[in-house]
Amino acid sequence: MDCEEKIMKELRVENVTKTYGNVKALDEVELTINPAEFMVVMGPSGCGKTTLLLVILGALTLDEGHIWINGKDIDELPLDERNIGYVPQDFGLFPHLNVYENVAFGLRVRKYPEVKVRERVNELLHTVDLEGLETRKPKELSAGQKQRVALARALATDPSVLLLDEPLSNIDEATKAEVRVNLKEIQKKSKVTTLCVTHNPEDSFQLGERIAVMHYGKIIQCDTPQNILEKPKNELVRKLIAPMYILWNI
Amino acid sequence: MTKDRFEFAITALACAIVIYMLISIFYLYVAVGESWSLVVSALFDNRVLGAIAISISSAFIVGGLAIAAAIPCAYLLTYRSFRGKGMLETFLIDLPQTFPPVTEGLVYLLMLGKIGLAYTYPAVIIAKFYVSAPFAISFAARRFKEIRESGLDVIARSLGAKTREVLGRILLPLSSRDLLAGFSLTWARAMGELAATLVFAGAIPWVTETIPTLVYFTAAETPQIAIAASVVAETLSIVALLSFKWIARRR
Repeated sequence: MDCEEKIMKELRVENVTKTYGNVKALDEVELTINPAEFMVVMGPSGCGKTTLLLVILGALTLDEGHIWINGKDIDELPLDERNIGYVPQDFGLFPHLNVYENVAFGLRVRKYPEVKVRERVNELLHTVDLEGLETRKPKELSAGQKQRVALARALATDPSVLLLDEPLSNIDEATKAEVRVNLKEIQKKSKVTTLCVTHNPEDSFQLGERIAVMHYGKIIQCDTPQNILEKPKNELVRKLIAPMYILWNI
Repeated sequence: MTKDRFEFAITALACAIVIYMLISIFYLYVAVGESWSLVVSALFDNRVLGAIAISISSAFIVGGLAIAAAIPCAYLLTYRSFRGKGMLETFLIDLPQTFPPVTEGLVYLLMLGKIGLAYTYPAVIIAKFYVSAPFAISFAARRFKEIRESGLDVIARSLGAKTREVLGRILLPLSSRDLLAGFSLTWARAMGELAATLVFAGAIPWVTETIPTLVYFTAAETPQIAIAASVVAETLSIVALLSFKWIARRR
């Protein structure tokens, strides 16, 4: 990998607006994610979380505002040149490719020599603890395993930023805690700047170093989990994080 | 349990239709049974062999060309937004399937006859392509749209894939069954095409005469030739469709 690629990157969303007809899916969203930070955007369904991810990814165009990665404006860059890792809600594994081929995909399209591809894929499969499953097809994997393949695939090309869309919504309750720990560990090891969106307060508080609470396309409060719990900005935030007071017995 | 008379009635009606369709397909073999020795000897008639060769070879060429045309058309219909896209889809997919083939044959005769293409083997291909290729295009477009909805192409692009890789590594491998199905229907339709071929390409034995045109010309005077050619065409169509389906299911 290129040395420059490994430098941790800052992601800045500046004044981003996206409108569908009369509905403002994103309303002047401001957000800065520090290098290697795990930031969670939490909000109810339909609040604009996924739109935010897709705008950053480049799958949707923004109406106003800018996206910056390490001080570089990426608005005009096409999706395939942004080098942003993305794990969708359903993990989006390529069904016709096995685990190894899925992880190798980004490296192969970038024409890495096969020796380097093998080295990198093996390293990643070790990181996500999937060694020995190289030849399995996605349909032969559990949800947790699928997620780890998707993570390894997204991390393979050393992305500037990692975007996770509801990473735990397809994981059953029995293994959720374990998957959550794994996810956090993998992010820490890879030191990739991460933006995760979820509707689930518990996942947000367990995963995020900071949480941005979103409602109707606006970020209402962005702070550490502790500060949000202790000093919710208004009644709406208090309502949205209410399950945490019960769960953590506060 | 109460008797549902209405359900019984629609089941009976469906059964009647199924029987009618099956008889329509297989009655030809009954007709063969009545004069099978004549039909078998007609199978080796030089003109019949010529029609079989022209029909099969042109249907395969049309099938291949249809797939080659379906891929860029499906890509365009899936990924490009422009005014009149719905109309274009109608013109590309629906209209050729409903447009009178005889008229299309005449259009080609007027348009391409001037450059000497009428009554040639390429004319057979051109005439059959127009009426058959929409099957392949519609199958490919439907599948490409499904893949787009799944978001797999976005993921591929986020990993650095350009259009060539998205097509070669995602869209085509994930559409192989549909392309095969499109090929098989195109092939079968091309095998059966009569009017456009007859008007634009004529019926010159071993050059442009296909099984349908041969049947058309011989049905009244030498029915055993027509029956022999029809049996070959029908058997090939049934065998081909079943094998394509079988291959598609195995993949």
